[in-house]
Amino acid sequence: MANAMEIYQFLPKTNCKKCGKSTCMAFAVALLSREVTVEYCTPLKETKFKKNYEKLLEIVAPVEGSTETGLIVHEEKCFGCGNCVVACPVNVANDPQGVGIGRAPTNDKVILQVENGIVRASNIQECRRFGKNRILCNLCIITCPTEAIEFV
Amino acid sequence: MVSCLNKNYYVCTGCALLCDDIEVEVSGDQITTIKTACRKGFSRIRGCIEPMPCIVNGKNVDINTAIKDAAKILKNADKPLIFGLGNSTSEAQKQAIKLAKRIDAFIDDTSSFCQGPTLEAILHGKIRTCTLDDVRNRADVIVYWGADPSNSHPRHLSRYSYFPRGEERQRGWEEDRTAIVIDVRKSHTAKICGDKFFQIPLHTDAFFIDALIDALSGKVPNMLFDYDIKNLLKLANILKKAQFGIIFEGFGIYNIEYMETMARLMGKLNEVSNFHLIPMVEHYNMRGFNQNLFEETGFLNRVKFKKCEKGFDVKYGVDYSIMEVLNTKKIDAALIIGSDPMSYLPRSAAEYLLEIPLVSVGPCENFTSRVAKVTIPSALSGVECGGSAVRMDGVKVRFEPIIKRARLSDEEILKRIIEAI
Amino acid sequence: MKLGKFLTAPEYRLMVVTYRDIFQSAALENSRFGEEYRKLSAVIRMDSKDIKKMGVTEGGTLVVKNSCGKVVVRVEKSAYDVPHQGVAYMPSSPWSNALVSADTGGTGVPKYKIIEVMVSDARGESITIIGV
Repeated sequence: MANAMEIYQFLPKTNCKKCGKSTCMAFAVALLSREVTVEYCTPLKETKFKKNYEKLLEIVAPVEGSTETGLIVHEEKCFGCGNCVVACPVNVANDPQGVGIGRAPTNDKVILQVENGIVRASNIQECRRFGKNRILCNLCIITCPTEAIEFV
Repeated sequence: MVSCLNKNYYVCTGCALLCDDIEVEVSGDQITTIKTACRKGFSRIRGCIEPMPCIVNGKNVDINTAIKDAAKILKNADKPLIFGLGNSTSEAQKQAIKLAKRIDAFIDDTSSFCQGPTLEAILHGKIRTCTLDDVRNRADVIVYWGADPSNSHPRHLSRYSYFPRGEERQRGWEEDRTAIVIDVRKSHTAKICGDKFFQIPLHTDAFFIDALIDALSGKVPNMLFDYDIKNLLKLANILKKAQFGIIFEGFGIYNIEYMETMARLMGKLNEVSNFHLIPMVEHYNMRGFNQNLFEETGFLNRVKFKKCEKGFDVKYGVDYSIMEVLNTKKIDAALIIGSDPMSYLPRSAAEYLLEIPLVSVGPCENFTSRVAKVTIPSALSGVECGGSAVRMDGVKVRFEPIIKRARLSDEEILKRIIEAI
Repeated sequence: MKLGKFLTAPEYRLMVVTYRDIFQSAALENSRFGEEYRKLSAVIRMDSKDIKKMGVTEGGTLVVKNSCGKVVVRVEKSAYDVPHQGVAYMPSSPWSNALVSADTGGTGVPKYKIIEVMVSDARGESITIIGV
């Protein structure tokens, strides 16, 4: 996934404020956190920015496809090892006798589970990075051998 | 099949972890969804796109003809070899041993060029070992030595060795366990272990072990190679404090001379703390083959049978290893079961297989079957046939097939070859 | 000034360490003869400085040989985060095994894990096809 600087490169860089943000850089950051969509930037619709507009749609597609907490699984990198499944504190709390001890999930309350060799997210509202008392938990990221999980 | 909370679980035969918590969804004779298996296990269960054909001399034949011709080749051979079986059930392995006795064959498997000596030391009780369940319940210091389970046994860390909670490890891996990698390269597993990765220069395992033994003994280590002594002392300190330590030994470290050095390290570790060792067996039932042959002969691989008055005589040793029988061209036919020596062996050694009649039995076409005189398709164990196997830690695991297809199991094929001889 | 172009490709000595790769293992379960398995097996991963020194291009091919055998494989920069000049990585496969000596020094165990080789630019020669 792109960072704000990469997104910025494709913006008009005029700081026109039409999107409601004071600068194009601020818009890039907002875009990344899904506060706005590409459509908010009206100058991008001009012909001279057509290529940039298309490129941006491409860049932010994974953001839009991500779950509500911004969790993305890069399936092509995933080993299906289940480290994240077992390290996730919510998974352990919700299924102590299944994933908590390393085994297959025994109920449907888990956030992460492996299916067809790749980790899959569900019940994402349970993730500790979501909701009113959210914290920046990163246990599924640091236990991954390949950076297959990312929060955007 | 294990039933739990109305769920049916199957066993994955993708590696010697034999994960027994695989859920599948089946439609007709197709498996549509595979849950909990890793990428490698998923791929194993889904199966190959090039199934083993049923062939004699390049021509498609029926299975009866193939079995008859296979029996003829083995019967006519003076010095046949039976090789493979790491991907076969224990029941099939026992049939293969029976066949070897019947035809005075050499019999060997991949442990001959990997973890044979470690398994031998374990079976003779010379090295302390434990089960993976013990590791999950009790281990606090986990060492992956020359092993990268993230790639070779992907669920190793999550199912047993690092991340799961266990009876005496209730607080989770961050507080309760220390995972260490000792390797010549920074593997994916090393990445997870962060600053507990100890990278050692190539060819220095033996020096490293000696220096580590010194450090564990409270002596100043004799650093005969380029390595930061502070790192070594840090490692020794962690190992010393272990309540329940485990070394997972991979291929990266193994060579014949090293075994004695490792045994000394295990001795020292058990003087100063509490350590166990489990070899990272790759093929799902290689250890099963070793144990089955051991029960029968007292040797776990590299055996040659010879009938005699009192039944049969067993010869054992390096001269009967797959590498040496090929190097010295000692065999005149070979039966390869669920294995691909043309792929696994040094090419220059494997090339001798092109000179002799080969019979290849297995679920999928491979480099060896393509040069075999007779190929016999068999059921993919764990998917199309059941049986039992021995996990890398020695625990026996029984499994049932997921789907029923027409192919015979290795066991049935071997029985029929024996009948035809 | 690519004088080297007209000469025999210069050779460099490297130690190859073999390793397991899950994607390659998964491809193997699917097909030993498929493009995917070949692509993931017939590869040598080198330190970027070694690649630069040799003047070869990433994604190009290299001849890797020793007294036991010779294979042509694709060269890639390793994703390794510490320098490892003089050491390269190859996944365990028929391609790496072509370079392993059959001489086991009376042990019956070939030295699979660390292999001494000479590498040179294959100059566009395609990767060795094994097992067809």
